[in-house]
Amino acid sequence: MIKINNLDFAYKNTQVFRRISLEFEKGNIYGLLGENGVGKTTLLKLICGLQKPQHGEISVDGLTPSKRQPQFLQSVYFLPEEVITEDTTPMRFVQKTGAFYPRYDFELFNTLMKELEVDLSKKFNELSHGQKKKALLACAMSLQTDYLFLDEPTNGLDIPSKALFRKVIAQYCNDETTVIISTHQVKDVENLIDPIVILDHDDVLLNANFSKITERIFFEYGPERLENAFYTEMLPGGYINVMRNVNNEESNINIEALFNAVMKNKEQIKNLMQ
Amino acid sequence: MNNTLNINRLGKVIKRDGAGFAQNLGLALIILWAIPVIIWLFGNMTPFNGKMDPFSRLGIIGTLRNILIIIAPARLYKYCNDSRQGMGYAMMPASSLEKFISMVFYCIIVAPIVYVVGALAVDSVLALIGGSYEGFAVPAYLDKYAQLKHALENNMFLSEEDYSSVSSSIFPSFFITSNILSTIMLSSIFMFGNMVFKKHKTGKMIGILILLSIISMIAFINYVSNHETIFQSMNEDNATDVIKRMLHITAQASIILQAVVSVVMLWGTYHKIKTQKY
Repeated sequence: MIKINNLDFAYKNTQVFRRISLEFEKGNIYGLLGENGVGKTTLLKLICGLQKPQHGEISVDGLTPSKRQPQFLQSVYFLPEEVITEDTTPMRFVQKTGAFYPRYDFELFNTLMKELEVDLSKKFNELSHGQKKKALLACAMSLQTDYLFLDEPTNGLDIPSKALFRKVIAQYCNDETTVIISTHQVKDVENLIDPIVILDHDDVLLNANFSKITERIFFEYGPERLENAFYTEMLPGGYINVMRNVNNEESNINIEALFNAVMKNKEQIKNLMQ
Repeated sequence: MNNTLNINRLGKVIKRDGAGFAQNLGLALIILWAIPVIIWLFGNMTPFNGKMDPFSRLGIIGTLRNILIIIAPARLYKYCNDSRQGMGYAMMPASSLEKFISMVFYCIIVAPIVYVVGALAVDSVLALIGGSYEGFAVPAYLDKYAQLKHALENNMFLSEEDYSSVSSSIFPSFFITSNILSTIMLSSIFMFGNMVFKKHKTGKMIGILILLSIISMIAFINYVSNHETIFQSMNEDNATDVIKRMLHITAQASIILQAVVSVVMLWGTYHKIKTQKY
């Protein structure tokens, strides 16, 4: 379990987080959403120990990330947004990296490379951007760490690759693995993520699973714009209205509409979800 | 789990770092090995038939070894403090101490040894061929060393050029210690520079060293001009003793300085590995 308590963090004069507290429970695929520049990547770096909080605590299964102890490091893997590869093949890369991870599975790597349709024989620099991303995803998943952090994993992937990405994440992540996917392209991870965390500048606006969200927020698909809705958006054939679930009705979450509703009604929705 | 030092894990780090050794340093090694060959070829082509003695060649090998020591950290661990490309290094499941030991192993031990062994092999081959290279370097050096030691032990007169090598003969242990320490110091300075600077790592560190050299030279000239009495007391009878005493003091001071600088730089490198943010 990841526990963040009263976290303060700033880059020189730019405050990113101010006294935020947050928890990530084991075995879930979290969607970490937020506008550009709110600190999604920074939060992942803090959880990985690549940055150190100025105030507050972060603990991952009781370990402090910023100490970068081997026991901690072998339980996490961070796949950054920017593809950085070595002058080698993905196979050699994963063999070199996998030696440090106790649950690393080379067979799984081969399976994932096939599923993601990446050529095993080519070097990284011979692969396209999307292929590199998929190869690195296969590497990351084959290490079978307890925590997998993916920063904008669908950026640069074509439509079929995005579908493959969702498929392998859903299929190969076991109940013990916690995945945090940071993205601002919510449609790419729809039907994959649950719970959702929405970050704002120095605040956490939402951290809830789907059942809790639908228990309190109702997504109404209808022909007209409702006055009491938090947010309304025109869809082909009508409107989606995001509103308070006063009648305890069931509905399907539209993550993009939810995100926009939260961003437009920060305090109201934050209070509603507490 | 031992989170500080585990031999098995250290072995994995050394293996991982070693995988890039030839790729990252191979070209530099080949170029530096080729320089004595170019000098030999050049010597053979000149019409003067000048011969290069083993000591000059060893001096060249020593200088080239130092060049390798200077460039090795930035070649082998270029990206380890890069905010994007260094994340993989930081996230490698090994302790900071293990990463540090591996870095020391390759920069201070492996790189200079590989170069010197290769350079001596090249030198031996060239000496065997003959031409502008005269005599084998290592046997000639050992012979000269024994001669100097004998001369000093028997209070024999030393030629002027021998004064430059005298310190190594007076204190054999000093010579070995100083040579090892100077290698460690030079390497540790550039290892630290590699961790501190993100761009133009070697150039910036050389700039700092030049600046420090100028400052220390000014300080030394100041010191000597304020202690002229030492030289005024020197005459033909006691010159060797005075010089011996001065060399002794200089030798001890340089060993202490080299040790202190090495420890500080190595600690700084370890600290940077441990606390580097990405």
